[in-house]
Amino acid sequence: MPVLSLIILTPLVGALLIAVLPSNEAHLIRRTALAFALLAWVFSLVLLAAFAFGPAGFQFVEATDWIPTFGIQYKVGVDGLSVLMVVLTTTLTWISILASFKPIQDRVKGYMISFLVLEVGMIGVFVALDLFLFYIFWEIVLVPMYLIIGIWGGANRLYATMKFVLYTLVGSLLMLVAILATAFAYQTGHAGSWVGAFDYQALAAWAAGGHFANDLQILAFLALFLAFAIKVPMFPFHTWLPDAHTEAPTAGSVILAGVLLKLGAYGLIRFAVPLFPFAAHTFAWPIIVLSVVAIVYGAIVSIVQPDLKRLVAYSSVSHMGFVTLGIFTFSAAAYQGAVLQMINHGLITGGLFLLVGVIYERTHDRSIAKMGGIAAVMPIYATVFGFFILASAGLPGLSGFVGEFLVFVGSFGMAPVIAVASIIVMVLAATYLLWMFQRLAFGELSEFFRGLGGHLTDLDRTELITLAPLAFLIVVLGLFPSLVLDLLRAPTQVFLAAVGVAVGG
Amino acid sequence: MSWADLGTIAPVVVAVLVAAAILIVDMILPGRRNAILVTALGGLGVVAVVLLAQAGHSGEAFGGAYSLDNLTVFLDFLFVSIAILTLLFAVDYLESRGLPIAEFAAILIFAVTGAMLIAASTDLLLLFVALELMVLPGYMLVGFARRDPYSTEGAIKYFLLGSFSSAILLFGLAYVWGITGTTRVDGVAAALAKVVAGGPLSPGLAMGLAFMSAGVAFKMAAVPFHYWTPDAYQGSPTPVTAYLSVGPKVGAFAIVLRLFAEALGPLKADWLPIVIVLAAATMTLGNLVAITQDNVKRMLAYSSIAHTGYILVGLAAYAGGQQSGLSAILFYGAAYTFMNMGAFAIVTALQRRPGVSSQISTFAGLGRRDPWLGALMAIFLLSLTGIPPLAGFWAKAYVILAAIQAGGWLTALAVLAMVNAAAAAFYYLRVVTYMYMRDPAGEAEPTSPGMLFRAGLAVTCVATLIFGLFPAIVTAATSAANALHV
Repeated sequence: MPVLSLIILTPLVGALLIAVLPSNEAHLIRRTALAFALLAWVFSLVLLAAFAFGPAGFQFVEATDWIPTFGIQYKVGVDGLSVLMVVLTTTLTWISILASFKPIQDRVKGYMISFLVLEVGMIGVFVALDLFLFYIFWEIVLVPMYLIIGIWGGANRLYATMKFVLYTLVGSLLMLVAILATAFAYQTGHAGSWVGAFDYQALAAWAAGGHFANDLQILAFLALFLAFAIKVPMFPFHTWLPDAHTEAPTAGSVILAGVLLKLGAYGLIRFAVPLFPFAAHTFAWPIIVLSVVAIVYGAIVSIVQPDLKRLVAYSSVSHMGFVTLGIFTFSAAAYQGAVLQMINHGLITGGLFLLVGVIYERTHDRSIAKMGGIAAVMPIYATVFGFFILASAGLPGLSGFVGEFLVFVGSFGMAPVIAVASIIVMVLAATYLLWMFQRLAFGELSEFFRGLGGHLTDLDRTELITLAPLAFLIVVLGLFPSLVLDLLRAPTQVFLAAVGVAVGG
Repeated sequence: MSWADLGTIAPVVVAVLVAAAILIVDMILPGRRNAILVTALGGLGVVAVVLLAQAGHSGEAFGGAYSLDNLTVFLDFLFVSIAILTLLFAVDYLESRGLPIAEFAAILIFAVTGAMLIAASTDLLLLFVALELMVLPGYMLVGFARRDPYSTEGAIKYFLLGSFSSAILLFGLAYVWGITGTTRVDGVAAALAKVVAGGPLSPGLAMGLAFMSAGVAFKMAAVPFHYWTPDAYQGSPTPVTAYLSVGPKVGAFAIVLRLFAEALGPLKADWLPIVIVLAAATMTLGNLVAITQDNVKRMLAYSSIAHTGYILVGLAAYAGGQQSGLSAILFYGAAYTFMNMGAFAIVTALQRRPGVSSQISTFAGLGRRDPWLGALMAIFLLSLTGIPPLAGFWAKAYVILAAIQAGGWLTALAVLAMVNAAAAAFYYLRVVTYMYMRDPAGEAEPTSPGMLFRAGLAVTCVATLIFGLFPAIVTAATSAANALHV
């Protein structure tokens, strides 16, 4: 059964179906979108269940010629890393769609189509095994997100969405040059035959043989790195993120933080590092330094943010810093920590954005200064918020802790200074998160809240349904991280072997 | 001339007959719109059928001055499509302004006949005559709205600079003739190959090359020879602008293929630096100025200059030793034709009623008040930006790939092209932003394009999607490029 194509096509079919529904049937459109998102989710769970944990390499591979002249294929397949990302994507997508039922009342049809097309692109990126196909999915992600922020976003949405698009495009177009140059180098090395020139597995094998010249590696790596670093986003390419997050509708922020940032990290792990190991080693130290700067800077800037969403956005910069730190430490523990951190960040930050959305729905405001004492009127909300805050701060027993801990362990072996510097940030993280929570939840009910009176109802059923799976997964992965780590065992070996090429040679 | 010659040049003959028939029909049945349209569209359909019959064949007429090969057929198809689409988009616009349709159709088809003749020219003199046949009706089309001072101004600018550049080109051709002693393309190539083998270029040949480059650069609106473009484009009736942005441009690149790639092929190394500089300047300046435009027609005019720059990257790649650069040029020309005509068509649709400007504010809220037009415009603009999986993306990808294969300075040119493409996203998406994310200032007139117009939009949209989803269509461009004796 071509399960991967099924997962990609399900949201696409849903989007096409919605396109022909009359636009005044908002209710029907919402339910159709949710149904197809849930269907894609079920398929992804089937994939997870059918996936064999042990063997290295890709499973469920499907390959069809697309443009034979240049050896470009429709080729998809998954390893443990991709499977995790696919499940994360499908989970967050249906949650986001459900969370949009009430807030999105205007142009529902376009919104749901955008969301489902977005899902197609995101899943495609995680399963593509042809560089060209990967690039196409990568760009497909851009357009719906541009619309989601630009049409359904906040007051300053036009500026934010254009900034998001231009940043991403500059990176991705240079990435296209790098992909073509890489394929051409492969073609030149194979007597002018384009067969396999865009095939990830063929290219990875060729790279493993050390066949890519060092100067090509340097240039191609820099181009890919720029594209991915903008997406992650790494310091100093992060400035689009706070704007995009602040202006995006709640569900847009959830997907942006939960999946879109992971696309960048995934690209680094899957493409930039294994294909160009020499360059990855050359630039490892500068990138590690940038990661640590991002971790510290993100945390410090978070402390002073006056806006709930902006605070969570900057905390993303800090948290994603652990991911890039883990990737470029080149050790098993750090690699697994990085991937775990990607998932945790998706779950936790996704939850935090949902919770910020809840308060925004009721008050149409996000400034922390106006808030206070919400625990008195919305006790369930305050409890759930507190749970996600603690998870984000890295409380042991919840999933956030395990990922960051593994990155510490991995990077300590490489450079204790860096590990120590990053641990200090844990204190900063606790500071900005708990302080924010304290201002929001405790003390006297603020004047602003009192003025709203009856509007401050506690979480309703839909909101609980969207938050529950995230909370559940945070606990489960916190207690049993081996569920994920088992899946990552084979990819870890492959990754380290790919990086080892340059160490030995 | 023999009967066989007549068969070879049949598409051009039929096109001329169609143009003449339109004028006759207009004389017999004055003011009968439908009769004229049936003659024009039906006639162009016949040309297309003749082309279909010629596909895959090759031959020559008039002792080798006119060549029928895959390149001729490919470009002729493109030119006929351009003529048909222009007509489909023009009817509503012309009618509402009281402009005559018969003259428009006849002039347009004469212009396209010239373009078709360029595609087939393997003789420098025929090339020049064909070029003039293409551009002279063009001047008339620009000034077609006689009572509109902008239209007249654009026509005069276009005419003065156009005839000036034609003279320069002819001057350059004369030098080449003087040095090689022949006007036949293959003869010129053979003679030049000997000249190149003999040492550095003579001053005469260098001057000839410079004049020809300048003349062709004028025609394709490459920087710094682009000054006529924005005024001519903005002043023209919008359907004419749509035609100008693709017809003469593809025609100019047909000259480039026949003249530079084929005849001047041996001098590749000498004109490579010229093309690199032209390409870099053209795309960068075109984009930078397009960013500042508030008028969509003018923005599309400057962006068409930028696209000329991208196409020139393909030519540079060819000069750098990559044959694939030529097929990239052809694919780009085809993809650009459909997506750009589509974009102009939407502008035309909004201007169906006289008096509506093409300011960007006209587009505010279009996505809401006319979802179909909005969605189509978004597709065309995204394609022009180069977002996959649309036609414009593959056009850029092929050009870039050819440049990367050529290596050296061309890799830097490829990077510059991509940076430019990112900058272009700003002004293309700005229109999308207006359509979907801003509310109109006042109540806008509903746009209800006629059936012909819808058919044209469907064709451009389907082509933009098909070229994107099945880019293997490039094989047609490849076989067309292979027809060149280079």
